[in-house]
Amino acid sequence: MKKQGLYDPIFEHENCGAGFICSLEGKKTNGIIHRALNILTCLEHRGAVSSDGRTGDGAGILIQIPHEFFVKECDFEIPDPTEYAVGMLFLPQKVNQSNFCIKIFEDEINKQNLKIIGWRDVPVNSKVVGSIAAKSQPIIKQVFIGKETSDQSEEDFNLKLYLARKISENNIYTSPLTQSDFFYFSSLHNRTIIYKGLLIPEDIERFYIDLSNPLLVTSLALVHQRFSTNTFPTWDLAQPFRYMCHNGEINTLRGNVSRMISREELINSKLISKEFIDKIFPIIIPGKSDSASMDMVLELLLMTGRSLPEIMMILVPEAWEKHKSMDDSKKAFYEFNSCLMEPWDGPASIPFTDGKYIGALLDRNGLRPSRYTVTKDGYVVMSSETGVIEIKPENIEKHGRLEPGKMFLVDMNAGRIVEDEEIKKEIVSKHPYRKWVKDNVLPLSKIPYTGNRTPEEKINFETRLKIFGYTKEDFNTIIIPMCKKGKESIGSMGSDTPLAILSKRPQLLYNYFKQLFAQVTNPPLDGIREEIVTDTSLSVGSDYNIFSLIPDHAKKLKIQNPIISNEDLDKIKYIDHDDFKSSSVKALYKLSKGHNGLEEALENLVNDVEKKVDKGSNIIIISDRNVNKKLAPIPILLACSFVHHSMIKRKKRSKFGIIIESAEPREPHHFSMLFGYGASAINPYLVNEIINYHHEIGLINDVSLDQAITNYNNATAKGILKVMNKIGISTLHSYRGAQIFEALGLRSKFVKKYFNNTPSRIEGVGLYVLEKEISTRLKKAFRSEDEFINIELGGEYKWRRNGEAHMLNPFTISKLQQSVRDESYETYKIYSDSINKQNEQFMTLRGMFKFSKFDPIPIEEVEPWTEIVKRFKTGAMSYGSLSKEAHENLAIAMNRIGGKSNSGEGGEDPNRFKADNNGDSRNSSIKQVASGRFGVSSHYLTNATEIQIKMAQGAKPGEGGQLPGPKVNPMIAKVRNSTPYVGLISPPPHHDIYSIEDLAQLIYDLKNANRKARINVKLVSEVGVGTIAAGVAKAKADVILISGFDGGTGASPLTSLKHAGLPWELGIAEAQQTLVLNNLRSRVVVECDGQLKTGRDVAVACLLGAEEFGFSTAPLVASGCIMMRACHLNTCPVGIATQDPELRKNFKGKPEHVINYMYFVAQELREIMANLGFRTIDEMIGKSEKLDTKDALNYYKIKGIDLSKILYKPNTDKNSVLRNTEKQDHNLKNVLDFKILKESQFSIDKKVKMSLDFNIKNTDRTVGAIISNEISKKYGSKALPKDTLTLNFNGSAGQSFGAFSVKGLKMIVDGNTNDYFGKGLSGATIIVRKPKKATFESHKNIITGNVALYGATSGEAYIGGIAGERFCVRNSGASAVVEGIGDHGCEYMTGGIALILGGIGRNFAAGMSGGIAYIFKDPELYDSRNFNMESIEIEKTEKQDLDIIKDLIEKHYANTFSNIAKEIITNWELSKKMFVKIMPTEYKLALEKLAKENINQIIN
Amino acid sequence: MGKLRGFIEYDRKTEKNIPVYKRLKNFKEFTIKPDDKELEKQGSRCMDCGVPFCHSGCPLGNLIPDFNDAVHRRSWKEALNILHSTNNFPEFTGRLCPAPCESACVLGLVSPPVSIEMIEKYIVERGFSEGWIKANKPKKKTGKKIAVVGSGPAGLAAAQQLNFAGHKVVVYERDEKIGGLLRYGIPDFKLEKSIIDRRVNILIEEGITFITSTEIGKDISINELYKNNDVVLLCGGATIKRDLPIPGFDAVGIVQAMDFLKNQNEIIDNKKTMIPDLNANNKNVIVIGGGDTGSDCIGTSNRQGAKSVVNFEILPKPPKERSLENPWPYWPFTLKSSSSHEEGSNRNWSILTKEFIKDDSGKLTGLKTVKVEWEKSVNERPKLIEIEGSEKVWPCDLVLLALGFTGPEKNILQKLKLKMDSSNKPKTNEYKTNDSKVFAAGDLRRGQSLIVWAISEGREAAYKIDEFLMGSSNLPTKTKGDLPLVK
Repeated sequence: MKKQGLYDPIFEHENCGAGFICSLEGKKTNGIIHRALNILTCLEHRGAVSSDGRTGDGAGILIQIPHEFFVKECDFEIPDPTEYAVGMLFLPQKVNQSNFCIKIFEDEINKQNLKIIGWRDVPVNSKVVGSIAAKSQPIIKQVFIGKETSDQSEEDFNLKLYLARKISENNIYTSPLTQSDFFYFSSLHNRTIIYKGLLIPEDIERFYIDLSNPLLVTSLALVHQRFSTNTFPTWDLAQPFRYMCHNGEINTLRGNVSRMISREELINSKLISKEFIDKIFPIIIPGKSDSASMDMVLELLLMTGRSLPEIMMILVPEAWEKHKSMDDSKKAFYEFNSCLMEPWDGPASIPFTDGKYIGALLDRNGLRPSRYTVTKDGYVVMSSETGVIEIKPENIEKHGRLEPGKMFLVDMNAGRIVEDEEIKKEIVSKHPYRKWVKDNVLPLSKIPYTGNRTPEEKINFETRLKIFGYTKEDFNTIIIPMCKKGKESIGSMGSDTPLAILSKRPQLLYNYFKQLFAQVTNPPLDGIREEIVTDTSLSVGSDYNIFSLIPDHAKKLKIQNPIISNEDLDKIKYIDHDDFKSSSVKALYKLSKGHNGLEEALENLVNDVEKKVDKGSNIIIISDRNVNKKLAPIPILLACSFVHHSMIKRKKRSKFGIIIESAEPREPHHFSMLFGYGASAINPYLVNEIINYHHEIGLINDVSLDQAITNYNNATAKGILKVMNKIGISTLHSYRGAQIFEALGLRSKFVKKYFNNTPSRIEGVGLYVLEKEISTRLKKAFRSEDEFINIELGGEYKWRRNGEAHMLNPFTISKLQQSVRDESYETYKIYSDSINKQNEQFMTLRGMFKFSKFDPIPIEEVEPWTEIVKRFKTGAMSYGSLSKEAHENLAIAMNRIGGKSNSGEGGEDPNRFKADNNGDSRNSSIKQVASGRFGVSSHYLTNATEIQIKMAQGAKPGEGGQLPGPKVNPMIAKVRNSTPYVGLISPPPHHDIYSIEDLAQLIYDLKNANRKARINVKLVSEVGVGTIAAGVAKAKADVILISGFDGGTGASPLTSLKHAGLPWELGIAEAQQTLVLNNLRSRVVVECDGQLKTGRDVAVACLLGAEEFGFSTAPLVASGCIMMRACHLNTCPVGIATQDPELRKNFKGKPEHVINYMYFVAQELREIMANLGFRTIDEMIGKSEKLDTKDALNYYKIKGIDLSKILYKPNTDKNSVLRNTEKQDHNLKNVLDFKILKESQFSIDKKVKMSLDFNIKNTDRTVGAIISNEISKKYGSKALPKDTLTLNFNGSAGQSFGAFSVKGLKMIVDGNTNDYFGKGLSGATIIVRKPKKATFESHKNIITGNVALYGATSGEAYIGGIAGERFCVRNSGASAVVEGIGDHGCEYMTGGIALILGGIGRNFAAGMSGGIAYIFKDPELYDSRNFNMESIEIEKTEKQDLDIIKDLIEKHYANTFSNIAKEIITNWELSKKMFVKIMPTEYKLALEKLAKENINQIIN
Repeated sequence: MGKLRGFIEYDRKTEKNIPVYKRLKNFKEFTIKPDDKELEKQGSRCMDCGVPFCHSGCPLGNLIPDFNDAVHRRSWKEALNILHSTNNFPEFTGRLCPAPCESACVLGLVSPPVSIEMIEKYIVERGFSEGWIKANKPKKKTGKKIAVVGSGPAGLAAAQQLNFAGHKVVVYERDEKIGGLLRYGIPDFKLEKSIIDRRVNILIEEGITFITSTEIGKDISINELYKNNDVVLLCGGATIKRDLPIPGFDAVGIVQAMDFLKNQNEIIDNKKTMIPDLNANNKNVIVIGGGDTGSDCIGTSNRQGAKSVVNFEILPKPPKERSLENPWPYWPFTLKSSSSHEEGSNRNWSILTKEFIKDDSGKLTGLKTVKVEWEKSVNERPKLIEIEGSEKVWPCDLVLLALGFTGPEKNILQKLKLKMDSSNKPKTNEYKTNDSKVFAAGDLRRGQSLIVWAISEGREAAYKIDEFLMGSSNLPTKTKGDLPLVK
């Protein structure tokens, strides 16, 4: 599907299921193929199907070349095995074009002196292809190619094949053929061959007739199926790729690609003749998926002679930077290779093979599941889930999992598994990497300070502040707090100022860009709690030829925190070192020449850089020092990006690093952008002067000047880390140049030239206006030099008369409040007019629309307001962020009018589930499920009408939150199921959603937990949200909410408040267009929120495609909020956003106020509907033709804006559905729970004990949730008496076993389980143990997957084996026993007990604020370096602890027959000394405080 | 900014006054300065609101949260700079302003508002006592000439702003001294006149020329003024006093408040001796008009030694708290009791004077009143209804008419052929009259109003004049953002 409207295929994402199977003995069978394909069938819930019901997103299988088969099948002679290669080729559908391609390829093969042996038409059964896939189905042929000579080495043969293929591709793709993009080699290799296509897994065998032929044999098979976010996948992007397949997402792709392009300039190899080398570029063919791009780099690196495992280590390194126990030689290897290649960063499980090795690798964070089983009869099965192939328990040799950053490898020749340690040891000891690093890397601290200093500026300080647009707010709100606290400032209540493009105040260029962030298809990271995987150091210097393996690669200047001080910059400026030469270039232009001068200066700047690089400089300092009346500063971001991009084009970018010396950057967003567009270090010299000044006048007190600057630099680094983390990138190294931003309000021509490949969708200003803004500032600064104009106030964050305009200002707030209290629609109209009529100052994109094509009807014919308000909702604001009074007020109001209020993420008091005596209901119809899972139990979910999964929130998409301990009063603690006074953290990601198929799983979980509730997925607007929405629709969400960036009432870092995310106008329009294009619109309800304030706002949202509408800020203002913007300070004077009992008394809001507001909005909307001629909202949804842009957009900045893409209507047939008309099919019919329910109904109804047996498969997911829902409905939170119903399962349980299971259930699995075991456990006892017949040792084998017991609130778990990563994350009340766990165990835990009888992974107890963990110090496994000591203390066990431990171990033994439990109990006197207790510091204090309060209560 | 929980920790404090019996002995100001610590605490009560309604409620757009914070941080000089950046004469507003900022203060929603006005006053007083307030002479000259007619707060503010901008400014005043109503209308116990002199001296030092005792149209022709200047700015005030034309209004002893107050002010200035008819000493005084001027008359009468002081107001007694129709942050129509009221007066509401009673010599002996009711009906002005049988006779010797002003004097406006509205105010567009060289500001343009509005008018007019003369202006302007009216 082509780019159209706001839809752009570049933003497609994919996640998937993958796996392989191989025979260690090298036994070749046809059976392996079927078993491998069976893996996919068992993983089908991880893939997706399009609206035609048949077209999958692609699937495929890689096998060894079946020699015997080809000998028999081909009508030409086939040489001996390994003497030839086979290519699997997709060709244009049109025969002439196809022949043209074949001709080109044959020519290239000849040029490489290889021989075409013959062509074979691959027999296929086209009937199984879905209608969508059929449109792009290629001709498929196999080509057989012989070696040049029989003694040609395998490496050389494959290299020649590679060259021939690359050159053919380049020739064909640049040819004018209409179907040139059909040409694609699935594989071309002398060992492997790939059968793949745009098919659902079970159809692969039926499509490729070859696959059923018993002669087609292999000893290994790699399979993959894709889940892409939308339905325009293509044949070539099906996986596996030529050497690998990938489950996950590469977040750093843009940076990786542009760095690869700049590497091309250096590529040189003795093995490749000059004649060919230039013709193989680009290495990465543009426009392909992240995985495809990675594969292209992988194959290039293979040509350099590096081994496949080594290449994987280079591309996806472990988190070595902060690793305390990693072997030094391995660290050195990683450090050295980080000079060659930045990490390809993002969630990734990557199975790979070259026919000799088959293996898999996991990303540094362990964000994808990868389980493997080795059987006694010599097979290895690896896949995203366990249980995908039936294996008898007694045949199991070992169950394992891939660990973060670790590799799993099978050497097919040797017929054995090579352990991670062994592979890597061999690789890292091939060269003296440590010596190479030591001899060559130059740390910044080691550069001698020569005493040379940058001369002082001639223009006075204050004037320069004005030139660079500083305001007092910059000082007071941004810089000074950072200096004092070392942290970025927090704000609240969203952003209601105009977009930069609409602002009348001169804007810095940074403000025209918005940060992108991760949602759904990959997770944001938690750089605070999971700091060990992050790194913000950078290195600067020249790069070298990637084909060569020489120590020179390490000639790099290493900078630990790339925000550098003036002294450090001086060191670099005046560096005297053989390997480094620095030069400064001036980023200034002649003011008198205007924008031509700016353009010219930019060209000169690049030429200047080129000259200096040619003369040997490898550090270029771009500086805006020495501005004066005649020389104005070039926006440093523009200079940086232009140099970066121009030098890539000129093929010289890899020869130098960019250092910025600028007065401009002041907030984390600025710094992030500079790094994102190529900078390697930044010296904010004017900020340093500002800090100095404020320190002198005493505004920065309590800290020394040096400390203040250090604090500022650290706060900035943390801020940048946050910006990186929100898109899921862990190292600055790979963030650099990744340009993860969207331009908003910049001309695409301008963007293309200076910020190439950055999306910009509404056009806007270019160089002319930017220059005008600079010159206005500069002239004013100098004019005011001899007058009395002070530094401007700002007014971005707090309203000021002379500051930036705000939509909520004294006028609008007072009028809105007056109107709802007086019930005066006239007064409301004064309010809404002043927001709607943005004639004097445009504030929003919607402000620029006008309604058109009027077709008036009498207003009486429009559906009544009482119907309309049923589509209205109040936003997700938790009890905790709001006071009880304010929270319940909203709920009562919305329940009275049939709208919906939202619990927010803080749980809800069960007392509210019942109606009040006066008939009011305080129950929030929408219950939110956010990453913290506070209070999310079966009972909570059961009482929802709608369940909302918060993937992101407008105010701070991609970030988590934190409720500090003092705010967690006993009532809030009760509702959130936590301990009073213990701080609560919402992690940035949902730890059970790292990808789209994970979201589908959570939707499935929640649907099971409450079948009647609609599942709503909340997204935030950003470029590409349309494709994400399509994916979410395919993941079976019932409602998709698109939030604008500017909404949000909660606390948020200022950088996020202002700079992350996009307006909803773009998001809703993109989602609507993409869903309609995909034929998915009918299945989902689309909801919109984010600064919706008036009926007109609602009308615009509706015309763009929304059918339900959320309001937060405005109903709060109606309830008395006066936009104090102090929600984060607990001092809200009107009792809304505070828990202070005294302040809460000030709350004066009434449900009537909120109802009046909703009524007014609906009334205003009805007036608009009457004018436009719509009788119902349903008629109105998506009719964007009724919108037009206002004419006379006179203000100079606005002239260039083009909103046509927002108003675009996809050219689909007239009958395309524009709104929700049907229900999702959630596929619940075959859920195992129904079977269980049938058999156990009696037990549940009569509360009698019962025990039942069932078989279970990995496709039986979320077992227990439906039964629990039924029990919750019947018995409320009390559920059933303990162990009423015992359920025994045999086999491998699917994901989310025991999710939200309630008290009274005892669920036992004999076998193993997958991810999310005991998710949201609500009181049940769940047990998993190895089958009796199995012989392996339980405590050395993995038995359950990742993220077990996430958000568990109560219950017990006994795990007879090892669990994966992130065990007990956010556990708040369950007790669990396990025999070993992976990394990040007990993260964010707030309550309950975890007893671990074996090893723990790295970063144990990060952010753990409550509950207790006991760990058995196994002498072989225990490593105290694995603890994250930030929030915990390690204590000795007291008697009462030992009592608990002993009791738990006894129960563990009774439930799992665990050997290790038995041993411990048997030797209790000895073993009891071997336990340590992990006690969160805050928890300890809270318990003491509570004890005291109890005593006081007793005394009183 | 501010102290996080300052508003919870500290109560509102305002200046204390010298006891009534002491302060009635003279005409001096009678407030007692709180110590600096208290002022800092009061500053810390400011909540640093996201939307500071005070800043919107202040007609000058004073940066209230900003100077409150500076005071809280003891950064007094910074506070002074912030204050002066929007207000030329905080020493006037700090004493005289009815502080709409405080009624719009967000804290006022839940507890007594921040003592903004007191803080303002002591910031500027600190500035004077520390010698921080000095003449700020313009660094460049534009060569443009501007005549300002009238030296009240509007004229003075405009003059200072225009002078800053480098224009040559001459202020014409028909009275002997500079200050207009400030000097002649405000009693000394509220504003000692040395406070005006202190500021005027600075203005003179800055280069502004003041020509007093010179009336335009009499001493200098309006044509001459018009010809010799690039711009004429009219700030003559709204000086036509409202009469009470009822039977007996020509009795001796019926005096306009302004005449009464001016006389007392001139006496203190040692310029004049007491005119017996304007002396309240030993008289039964009735002040008609319940506004600020009325209150000033009460205070002055008591100081002159009146036997009794009675006050009439035609409107009903306002409620102590805001009514539902008059919510925060709008200007509150609530009962306001000034220090003068506290010094002794019999206040009467809903009362209408029907007739003055005089003796044969024409001397006032009393007056007749009737009680009234106000009948409200939707979309109409409330109607006045006299209550039958509520007539009453009040014996008195002196009646002070504090009924406000109806508008500016006409002659200059007419001579300049300016378009006027029904109350004789010149029609203006952004302070510009229909004659492009003639601007107007203050009460003359706006009608009678507060000092703080006068200063605001002067500043904004100056901005527009500078823009008119120079093409653009670097002078500060408050722009929009004034609080709306309740209806």
